[in-house]
Amino acid sequence: MSSVRFVFPKHRLAELLREPGGLAVAEALDRAQANLETLKPTCRAELMALLELAEVAYGRLGQSFDDAGMAELYTLAAHGIGAGAVCGAPAVDEGLSSLCDLVDHLRTRRVYDREAIGVNIRAWRLLMTPGLPAEGIAPVLAGLRKVSKRYAPT
Amino acid sequence: MALDPASRARFNLERAAILLLDDTPVGMSILVQIVTGLGAKQLYRCTTVEQAQEVAVSQQIDLAIVDSLSPSGGGYDFIKWMRHNAAEPNCYTPVLVTTAHTPASDVTRARDCGGHILIKKPIAPMVMLERIIWVSKEGRTFLYSDGYVGPDRRFRDEPPPGGGRRREDRAPATPNSDEEIALGALGSKPKALKAS
Repeated sequence: MSSVRFVFPKHRLAELLREPGGLAVAEALDRAQANLETLKPTCRAELMALLELAEVAYGRLGQSFDDAGMAELYTLAAHGIGAGAVCGAPAVDEGLSSLCDLVDHLRTRRVYDREAIGVNIRAWRLLMTPGLPAEGIAPVLAGLRKVSKRYAPT
Repeated sequence: MALDPASRARFNLERAAILLLDDTPVGMSILVQIVTGLGAKQLYRCTTVEQAQEVAVSQQIDLAIVDSLSPSGGGYDFIKWMRHNAAEPNCYTPVLVTTAHTPASDVTRARDCGGHILIKKPIAPMVMLERIIWVSKEGRTFLYSDGYVGPDRRFRDEPPPGGGRRREDRAPATPNSDEEIALGALGSKPKALKAS
């Protein structure tokens, strides 16, 4: 028979948060956002570097099921997620999530669609375009989601 | 977990020892900028599981923000290691798990590693603050079973269907809304408890 034991730990964090001083919520959020602004150029450069690596990796991707190649692309895309929101291109984060979904579905189901991956890589570059109009972004993201969903486990 | 972004309620992270684990320079920079903006000053920045383990055995940690380290999922392994191997109080430390993407093969691992809550990237400062306040809430049961060590994952105080189980087998009472959780952690009186 399995045993279950409950304990009720006291976290010091709760006490520390209540200590006098500190910051008001509004002030803290402003400071954090201002800090993130300083990372804009770094995040954009990182996303461009990852994109270039992804384009090269896509060029090497096999014509038949290439698990190692897809794993490499998954890693590159996953490492970029989060940087888009910081550098003012949140759609890139969504696009990269779609790419991760697609590659994960393909690898899980052991099926292959090289062109679908290519669509995602090309969309990544498109979404990096500064000043892309919002009305142009939505259909791109919807299309990427559609491509990923095609291979989602049923 | 809605917290009013214009709130003047105060909180203090200055003396909290926070372990950060992220293996990408940009991911770590984003985390650092967010938590320092929120007032944290004592950070342990780790880029590998080994570094994080070293910190977890040598320092008292009040909060850990651990990336899953996709695609290896090493972050989940670290949390599981901490729950099983770290000495008190670190084995109970609140853990926020961040992830860019969780592959289908890792969903169970993410669920069972013993983290308190999962945050999907991109991470907004507001989301991070809400989660920090939520995990700091006292009274969360910690559970040891054959297959799982970590915070009780049940969120609501509802008896099992049909009832009949022992009182101590149930999750502790939780406030009615996420806002109450946040306000409670900040030392404010939850709305539902205000005298009419």
